[in-house]
Amino acid sequence: MTCLNDSHIQALADGEPLPEAAAHAAGCAACAARVRERQALMAALTSAVDVPANMPPQVAESVSFRLKAEATGSQGATRLLPSNTRGFGLTSNTRGFRLQAEGKWLFSGLAVAAATIVAVLFVAPAIRKPDATVSASEILAKSANQLSGAVRSGIEVLEYQVVLDGVPKEMLPDQADGTYRVWQAIDHDVPGRFRFASYAVDGRMMTSIAEDPLKKRRVAAFTVEGQPYRFDVSLPANATNMSLPEMQQLHMQASIAMMQASGNQLLETFDGPSGKMYRIEVPRVTGPGTNPVWDLSEARVVIDARDYRITEFAVRGSFLKQDYGMSYKLINHVLAASVKADAFEVPPQPGEIVINGEGTAVPTHDVVVLALRELTKMKLGR
Amino acid sequence: MTSSEAALALFDEHGTAVYRFAVVLVRHHQDAEDVVQETFLKLLRHLDAGGDRTNLRGWLFTVAAHAARDRQRGRSRWVAWLPAHDAGVAPPMLPDEDGRLKIARDALRQLPERDRLLLALRAQGLSYRDIATAARINPASVGRLLARAVARWAAERGRRRANEPERVSHASGAGTMGPPRASV
Repeated sequence: MTCLNDSHIQALADGEPLPEAAAHAAGCAACAARVRERQALMAALTSAVDVPANMPPQVAESVSFRLKAEATGSQGATRLLPSNTRGFGLTSNTRGFRLQAEGKWLFSGLAVAAATIVAVLFVAPAIRKPDATVSASEILAKSANQLSGAVRSGIEVLEYQVVLDGVPKEMLPDQADGTYRVWQAIDHDVPGRFRFASYAVDGRMMTSIAEDPLKKRRVAAFTVEGQPYRFDVSLPANATNMSLPEMQQLHMQASIAMMQASGNQLLETFDGPSGKMYRIEVPRVTGPGTNPVWDLSEARVVIDARDYRITEFAVRGSFLKQDYGMSYKLINHVLAASVKADAFEVPPQPGEIVINGEGTAVPTHDVVVLALRELTKMKLGR
Repeated sequence: MTSSEAALALFDEHGTAVYRFAVVLVRHHQDAEDVVQETFLKLLRHLDAGGDRTNLRGWLFTVAAHAARDRQRGRSRWVAWLPAHDAGVAPPMLPDEDGRLKIARDALRQLPERDRLLLALRAQGLSYRDIATAARINPASVGRLLARAVARWAAERGRRRANEPERVSHASGAGTMGPPRASV
């Protein structure tokens, strides 16, 4: 046999020789020397390549967590430390504000306050299955996809902090700093059944909105200029309007889509209380068209790398050419099989004015019409 | 044993090796962590789908290699978010990064993807059969391709040694840090 070629030398050095090559090397000093030389080279290569790096414990924990979560499809629970995160510090003048809803124009006043409460609570923290994608664009894409496939059974209870700025804050003058703590329950076993409640920093309930298709009731409670109101209406049989959680979801999806559309996403990875987190920021995002109805001048999202749940979300921009800002931070998220019996009931407030009536598909429309109707009754009765 | 249990057992057995393998290929520890996560989540789905279990070690390294490649390609378009990152902070250094191994590693990074993959797989002690599976090449070609990859690596290492004698001497002799390096 002639002397060995490089392939045979390599195989011998790696301990995987052909029998005839091994036999040749045993009797050929030159080939044996080449094998030794190659073994030394491989040793040097291995020492360079096989990094003696130990896997960080949090990585092992995270992978185990995600493997279990993926296998069971469960959500688990997240608890984060309270945040000092505040709004973006917008400055804006109070201006007239009107909102178009299903062809009906609503004007400033009580209805606007109620409508704004609804509008500014469009935050959707429900994120589902984990994934390991790590580019900013892919993270956003997965988050958007997972939003559409949110929890489908059980009762989801969330607590989060919302900070409003710009027009939404101006529309809620009874909370000067624009900071609210929101409690939210969504019954995924009964489509359309939910309750929202927002609280001031001192614990006062600011607003609560509940809808229960089983009881065919919708209740909205809020306080205007120190006077609590309660609108308790029947749900129409054909009420197919979008629920608050669905609107929340849409708003978050739309915001994320705008962030995705930007080619200027900035991503940072950092260690959070529960492990690695992703922070994605988009300096400026503008919707399609030369005269955008909706424009985000800044957007930021923080995502838990373990399960891709959004834990912080902040946007600043303009809507209908009026400044607005909103930030959201998840405090607690639990998926429960059951909750207290009154979890979907809006609690009564001392001294509240109760207005009953028949509801329509548009909650804000109900508030305006019923309030005007009561006002008319009072005027006529005078 | 359920798929989840099997995946967890395989993670216990091979997780560290996959992590080390990924660290070499992607360099950034955070990317390596993501590679590990993605690899084992894909493993779970593979097992759930009744995928082939005959050579899961090779399968793991194949998936990890592809995930690492994706991250290497994606890394170049990422932008640092913090002002501190804008200044170009180097990633955490691997052991002996400033010593003689740096040249060896730098030389490895200059190789074509397949060469790096083959060498990294071999360094993890995979057999030729496993390497063939992971790299999706003919088992009979592994020795030949490895020999070529080793030759290229040795040549590149030699060239770098010749070009950077002072830095090698300085770093390995004094044990001090070299000049700031740009991120990968």
